[in-house]
Amino acid sequence: MLLLAILVTPLAAATICAAVKSRGALETVNLIMSVLLCPLAIALARRVVRQEPVGALGDALHADALSALVVCLTAFVGFVTSIYAVGHLRHDARSGKVSPKQIRRFYTLMPLLTFAMLLVPLANNLGVMWVAIEGATLASVLLVALYNERTSLEAAWKYIIIGSVGISLALFGTIVTYFAASKAVGIESSKGLNWSVLITVADKFNPAAMRLGFILALVGYGTKAGLAPLHTWKPDAYAEAPAPAATLLGAAFINCALYAIVRFTVLAEKTLGHRFTGNLLIAFGLASILIAAPFIVAQRNFRRILAYSSIDHAGIMVAGIGFGGKLGAIGAMLHMLFHAVTKPLMFFCAGNVQQHYATPYFRNATGVIKTLPLTGGLFLMGTFAVTGTPPFSIFQSEFTILSAALAESRPWLATIFIGGVVTIFCGFLVHIAKLTLGTPQPDAPAPATESPWKLTALVVVAAAVIVLGFWVPAPLYALVEQSAEIIRGSP
Amino acid sequence: MPASPQLNLQLITLLAAGMLVLQLLMVAQRQLLTNIRLFAIQSLLLAGIAGVSAFSNHAPHVYFMAALTFGGKVLFLPWFLRRLVRQIGIGQEMHPWINPPTSMLICGGLTLLGYLVARPLTTAVSGTNTFGVAMALVLTGFFLLINRRRALTQVLALLSAENGLFLAAISLTGQGMPLVVELGVFFDLFIAVMVVGILVFRIRATFATTDVHQLNRLKG
Repeated sequence: MLLLAILVTPLAAATICAAVKSRGALETVNLIMSVLLCPLAIALARRVVRQEPVGALGDALHADALSALVVCLTAFVGFVTSIYAVGHLRHDARSGKVSPKQIRRFYTLMPLLTFAMLLVPLANNLGVMWVAIEGATLASVLLVALYNERTSLEAAWKYIIIGSVGISLALFGTIVTYFAASKAVGIESSKGLNWSVLITVADKFNPAAMRLGFILALVGYGTKAGLAPLHTWKPDAYAEAPAPAATLLGAAFINCALYAIVRFTVLAEKTLGHRFTGNLLIAFGLASILIAAPFIVAQRNFRRILAYSSIDHAGIMVAGIGFGGKLGAIGAMLHMLFHAVTKPLMFFCAGNVQQHYATPYFRNATGVIKTLPLTGGLFLMGTFAVTGTPPFSIFQSEFTILSAALAESRPWLATIFIGGVVTIFCGFLVHIAKLTLGTPQPDAPAPATESPWKLTALVVVAAAVIVLGFWVPAPLYALVEQSAEIIRGSP
Repeated sequence: MPASPQLNLQLITLLAAGMLVLQLLMVAQRQLLTNIRLFAIQSLLLAGIAGVSAFSNHAPHVYFMAALTFGGKVLFLPWFLRRLVRQIGIGQEMHPWINPPTSMLICGGLTLLGYLVARPLTTAVSGTNTFGVAMALVLTGFFLLINRRRALTQVLALLSAENGLFLAAISLTGQGMPLVVELGVFFDLFIAVMVVGILVFRIRATFATTDVHQLNRLKG
């Protein structure tokens, strides 16, 4: 019942939004949807933490702690984004950047994207999970192309072509994994891709096929998560999409892709052992961190810098799972949580600055703290938080992952990890410090205050970031701990 | 009607080989409309493989997939793409980056690579070459994607790689994936082509060309 309610809510919202025309109605429907999803997600989390995994529709849907964590994060990001989107799109409409038709398109696509992102963790069947990820990609392609400018079309085209290559590889990986499992699962092949079935027999898979299947799935879903070398769509898509859509992609969809990688990792690890999967994950993770670092240091565009930061964070999470052990798994899950809570703040601030200055370039936007004081201050705070400075929470998860590397006696890899993270911290901070604290240029726009909608969204996220820095609520931590147990192979 | 399992297997291998030959023809020739036709014939062979495989495995849902492949990939998608070509009135030439002879050589190499990667799996099952062909189709499909610069020909390359994936699913298990997954994949494929159609239209309207080489503003 609960699982169905979680999926039906956004679907109903999308249907209504496709029918209504007035902007107010569209905004209200989206807000109601995202507000409704929050208690549903929390209810799911409470139930999963207390009892066994939840199933529905004859086991077509299946939720364990890991699913519940991803659902909760999607619900949170969706909630704050739907508030922010109202302010952002009204501004765009006033400045003539979007037509009423485009606004309607946005508010119809957003619940569709939310639905697909919620189906990813709730689908029991790994094939259906693939379908959901592809569905989310297609919805977000249209969101990236929303502004219909030369650059946004270019970004959308690159996104769909590179994304299609990735998703084809992921489908190939799913097919090969299905084959690897077919002997162990037996003749009843219609359930042969169900996670709840696969996990019980994963040690009897065909190892040669599982090896190929895992590599294909890792590269394929890695494309969606933004792992190098197929990360190149990300800066374009994140920078050209409207800021609220970029938030959904960068803070929520990334978790769905990582979730898929985790599922395949667990299966492959049971068949092939940790050494094989771990080394691959570490290689992809560290490569992503190292590729992101120079682009962040030399970045000229404050929307694109967020994309490289998200490539970096995807790399950190994957490396954490690769290092393995209890520490690695908990570190990766904590990082997923903290990243999803912190990142919206960055996207919102960047969106505000871009709208106020009408430019995405650092050189044209300086001294934000004088023209948009709250946005400027929070942008700086968010930068400290997102680069892992204490007391903010990401420091804690990065430190846990680092300890995991040392506990598995991999000091050299730990050194590379620290090197990358510190470089990114320095590069990021220099840029944002100039952006917020620099002297405003003579032709800078007049000081202003954010609209109430934007203000509310900013304050809610900032409060969550600050609170998580000092205190992780016990039920939430239990959810993270149980998710880490699932990564370590407990059914 | 094929009767013995041996004959069925040989028929499938023959049809799969035909798919690979068509893929190489796509690499070699330059006309967009011919390319769409080649894709349609390739999909027809795929539908045939699904039909034979459904018959020999007594799997009713694979018949359904064969019918869907026929209706979707042989009739509907080629019609849709041809209409798109007419509507935006783009030229016939494909302008590949690498000339056809060299492309053929590269694809020959990729086919070998596909067989090599597929070997540990195929020897473990039935000894058919079909999975090797599927792997080769996917790899050459990706090569076509890199080698083409018109938006629509890139889509055709992706679709032929997708044909390889369907072939892989059938050749590995004999029955393809569970029905719900196959349906979902098909659904996504159609939506993807629609989305691409929308994008191609808008790119054409904004850039006055569909040469994706012109999409080169975003860097760094």
